[in-house]
Amino acid sequence: MTALWDTSGSAVIKALAAERRQAGSVSSGLALTLVAVVDERLVTEAEQAATHAAAQHPCRLLVVVRRRPDSPEPRLDAEVSVGGRLGPGEAIVMRMYGRLALHAESVVLPLLAPDAPVVTWWFGDPPHLIAHDPLGVIAGRRITDTMAGADPIASLGRRADDYAPGDTDLAWTRTTLWRGLCASAFDSLHGPVHTLTVSGEPNNPSRALLAGWLKSRLGVNVALEDTRGPGVTGVEMQVGADTVTITRSDGRTATLSRTGHPDRAMPLPRRELGDLLAEELRRLDADETFAEALEATTGTSGLSLRPPNRAHIWQDPALDADPDPALTTT
Amino acid sequence: MSRLSQNPLRDPRDRRLPRVPEPCALVVFGVTGDLARKKLIPAVYDLANRGLLPPGFVLMGFARRDWGDGDFEQVAREAAKQGARTEFRDEVWQRLAEATKFIPGSFDDDQAFDQLAQSLKDLDASHGTGGNAAFYLSIPPSAFPTVLKQMERTGMANNVETNSWRRVVVEKPFGHDLASAIELNKLVDDVFTAQDVFRIDHYLGKETVQNLLALRFANELFEPIWNSHHIDSVQITMAEDVGIGSRAGFYEGTGAARDVLQNHLLQLLALTAMDEPVNFDAAELRTEKRKVLGATQLPKDLARYAVRGQYDQGWLAGERVKGYLAEEGVAPKSRTETFAAVRLDVDTRRWAGVPFYLRTGKRLPRRVTEIGIIFRKPPFLPFAHSDTEELGANQLVVRVQPDEGLTLRFGSKVPGTTMEVRDVAMDFLYGEAFTENSPEAYERLLLDVLLGDASLFPQNEEVEQSWRIIDPIEEFWASGRRPELYRAGEWGPRGADEMLARDGRTWRRP
Repeated sequence: MTALWDTSGSAVIKALAAERRQAGSVSSGLALTLVAVVDERLVTEAEQAATHAAAQHPCRLLVVVRRRPDSPEPRLDAEVSVGGRLGPGEAIVMRMYGRLALHAESVVLPLLAPDAPVVTWWFGDPPHLIAHDPLGVIAGRRITDTMAGADPIASLGRRADDYAPGDTDLAWTRTTLWRGLCASAFDSLHGPVHTLTVSGEPNNPSRALLAGWLKSRLGVNVALEDTRGPGVTGVEMQVGADTVTITRSDGRTATLSRTGHPDRAMPLPRRELGDLLAEELRRLDADETFAEALEATTGTSGLSLRPPNRAHIWQDPALDADPDPALTTT
Repeated sequence: MSRLSQNPLRDPRDRRLPRVPEPCALVVFGVTGDLARKKLIPAVYDLANRGLLPPGFVLMGFARRDWGDGDFEQVAREAAKQGARTEFRDEVWQRLAEATKFIPGSFDDDQAFDQLAQSLKDLDASHGTGGNAAFYLSIPPSAFPTVLKQMERTGMANNVETNSWRRVVVEKPFGHDLASAIELNKLVDDVFTAQDVFRIDHYLGKETVQNLLALRFANELFEPIWNSHHIDSVQITMAEDVGIGSRAGFYEGTGAARDVLQNHLLQLLALTAMDEPVNFDAAELRTEKRKVLGATQLPKDLARYAVRGQYDQGWLAGERVKGYLAEEGVAPKSRTETFAAVRLDVDTRRWAGVPFYLRTGKRLPRRVTEIGIIFRKPPFLPFAHSDTEELGANQLVVRVQPDEGLTLRFGSKVPGTTMEVRDVAMDFLYGEAFTENSPEAYERLLLDVLLGDASLFPQNEEVEQSWRIIDPIEEFWASGRRPELYRAGEWGPRGADEMLARDGRTWRRP
């Protein structure tokens, strides 16, 4: 591990090359570069999750922490490690102070693995507009987490307005196990779909997306029922002559009930952040199913037809009345 | 496939949703055996842990033990704990344990089979399996006829009668020669419909083997040179460092050629040499493999191109090991081979003149399986002879196990003031470039059985083709001399090296 204080981008590149030589992994294959944009308070948590995901996806991990934008002197501190505390791959944690935080891409661009896909992940309140953050503009795939915001449902609407193919959200990832159970249940259901109900915490974005997905696939309105959670607590489907309910009130085990059949219990855990991130890194192309679910959730349309690339929109958080949370720093 | 199109929640673009089979039961015959404990039960657990088993899944054991469901569950739990690839989690096992059944009985016990047939019916009501069941025959081939007759008698193999799907999984050996293979195929196909019979060759479940198809047919780079104009020869090796262990009873009557060459190596040959299938449906893949196996010819002079060997005592990995004849249960004058190497030719326009050298053996220096594609030397080299002395032929090596991946060997200039060219290697290691852990072969194949996807399973015709190739070799050996001895820890008998030397080639050291 190399720690560099008040350093420059070129010194970081040199340190990375030296670390790679030392680790003897010069030829190691890198599937992608993961850029994590993190607030200082969350760095440890983000590092853990990214390390977990990197164990499954050999990647170069670049953690960018934007700090003290009002600081008069721009400054870069970096920690470079290969096969160290941040998993088997290459990892660089960078803290950018002052105005440098607004030009993070100047440090990040030369550090991207050659010709490998770039994934940017905002851990914390998602950006209002991804285009505000140059680190989102350079990425082929962008991961936000509406759940981390103050008002997740409003945040979901903003994601739809801002959507471009290649965007994804961890609230959507959290629905995967639920969706798998619904799909398996549907394998043996026949006949017209009468009613659908999804229950869960009122402000839970995953509940909204799960309902949106069902609506987009089945073309039937989905009722939402409020419960105290945690998260999504149940799905009820009346199809043909059958009623199927999947309920999970403890956040761990689900019970599948179907008319005329015995109840079945199944593990349905709320997954760790690292697992969610690993699932996101598994695919690197646009997720059309998500786009359709998001359309149905927010009443928008044509999301998949938007151009996948964004152009950077300059915003100076110091001067803007409504600064983008991705750029506001502590 | 029809199920996918019927279910509106399943969208082919939605690749996050795993392929989960319909509710069903997996009935394992011979569940107390080695294979079931070391591979099958851990694979079932791993599938459950990855969320790939349907809610209505039941694991059923059948064996001659005086056990209740609980005893079986205990044994299965231990097996899963020891053999599972993924982390062992109690809550996952608990769900599986609730759906674990055991039926005691011997294979000629009518009552036990009646009970089994009844249980399969009852499971629909109690667990919602829909009556679907896959039968895994993890039993010696001699017991096949009895078990299959029982299934026929009770009607439990019949899709129509049970109004559900019923499938059967058969392990190798698929017979011991062409005649017995035909007999066995007939026996199984009489009871089950041909498309419901799944013959497991676990090599085909390996990620690298499937990647061979991706490598060849998804790239522009390789297929144009994948022919006799550019390829000099192909070497397929499957080496094991272990001896026969406690399998003398089975191995004595089998030998390396029947045990490995007939199935694994010929399947690898077929995948290496086959033409592009029209698509990746099971039927199309089989068509292409069958064509290649049909075109595969033995050399006329078997004395020169079919070598067999038997390991003698020696040192392997720092330990002294016994010779084959000294292994427990082996006849003192046994002529069973533990090493086999043959040259085969594929008589097609693409492959004419390219020998395929296949070898397999036990007590070789290390455990490795690989396919080596050796390219021709360039027709002309604009370098001084001394500059390219250390330049070998270009090679593409598919490492099936261990270190699954690919190696490409080619010449490169040695840094310095002279123009010296030497071989270097470019490596692609699966574990490094991806992402997900490769599932165990059994995990993948078991899932395919439950999903009804037959593309990775050899079909009876392929099995018969393979025996057509192996039988003459076995006949030739049976009438010939004793197998040549090789020291344990060597790369096989001298005869194998001489075989390649005759063609002006040498074996790659894997």
